[in-house]
Amino acid sequence: MFDLLIKYIKEERIRLDKSRYPQLAVYHDPCNYGRKAKEYFGHAFYDEPRWIMDQCLANWMDMDPCKDAQLCCGGGGGTLLTGYNEDRLLYGKKKMDRILATTAEMIVVPCHSCHGQFNSVIKDLGIENLEVKYLWEVVADILVL
Amino acid sequence: MRSDKTSIAMELLNSDRHGAWSFLQDACQTCGYCSSVCPVAGIDDFDPRKLVRMVNLGFEQEIIEARWPWVCTMCAKCEDQCPMNVDIAEMVKQIRSMRDRDKVPGVLHKGIEAATESGNNLRLPKEDFVFVLEDVAEELAEEPGFEGFTVPIDKEDANILNTVHNKLVNTHTDDLKHWWKIFHAAKESWTIPSDNWEGTNWGTFTGDENAMKMMTGRIVENMKRLRAKNLLWPE
Repeated sequence: MFDLLIKYIKEERIRLDKSRYPQLAVYHDPCNYGRKAKEYFGHAFYDEPRWIMDQCLANWMDMDPCKDAQLCCGGGGGTLLTGYNEDRLLYGKKKMDRILATTAEMIVVPCHSCHGQFNSVIKDLGIENLEVKYLWEVVADILVL
Repeated sequence: MRSDKTSIAMELLNSDRHGAWSFLQDACQTCGYCSSVCPVAGIDDFDPRKLVRMVNLGFEQEIIEARWPWVCTMCAKCEDQCPMNVDIAEMVKQIRSMRDRDKVPGVLHKGIEAATESGNNLRLPKEDFVFVLEDVAEELAEEPGFEGFTVPIDKEDANILNTVHNKLVNTHTDDLKHWWKIFHAAKESWTIPSDNWEGTNWGTFTGDENAMKMMTGRIVENMKRLRAKNLLWPE
């Protein structure tokens, strides 16, 4: 997925308007593309999404901790579907504290579970001005046609 | 373990199954690095170190019945820190697999049953799936720059075969459009299969390895049937 987007951008098959989203954004490393990918495939996808973020957004930052030391969104491992929502939200708020500390207005994620979890925590906390976007959604939004 | 317990019923210990596991549970040094980084340590008086020790000692039934392995998100922060490389997330998955299937919490196993029988977690019939895709494609074709857009279902010899997360044909249909826009702009040759399109694999969450293999096998079959060159599986 990252490789495909990078290929499209490098081969100039798509062109992007980097001025479309001026607000501060943060990138979240999903466990599956980081620690898990490293364990199963010997490679963690940390540099690839960050290169794509650089092509898309003029104003984004990493949160602390990130990459290998990243905190999970709290929605992984099927926890969005077990019904133990109180525990899931408790966990999600620990993560959200780190996100809010950046003062970002947009969270960018390349994972369906993280996307669902962040939106669920945002709704629970009533902070709907914080926007969650898929990485490929950001790319699609700023296409120059 | 409950903290009010003063003695251990030795006859309840059973490490027969755990003994065959290769997750290095016996190499644990009880250092507690795992527990210190675990975001759900403390819930139900559990943490990863305790879990590993219970596996090591053979508290089989207590762990299978505990809620904690299902509250854990298998984020692998614990094992990333572990100096002995104990594979704790995989251990959690195996513990989950030992529960009776009718005691798997929430909708997880129901989704797997639906997918086994119908090809997707929603039991969405093929004609409804195709209807949703074509409906969203028509919407997209009305946006400037995407005039004439159609969704290539079951196209043979495509460069990319794309799986679909069930929520994108259920509650989040607008989110189908992002990749479609990118494909359109990049003039990509791509396709979505009309059968067995499900991109999620909930066997991963319940420790159901047969279900995992079945769902993955179906995607491989689709690749072969449609002679697709690459797979885009963002779920």
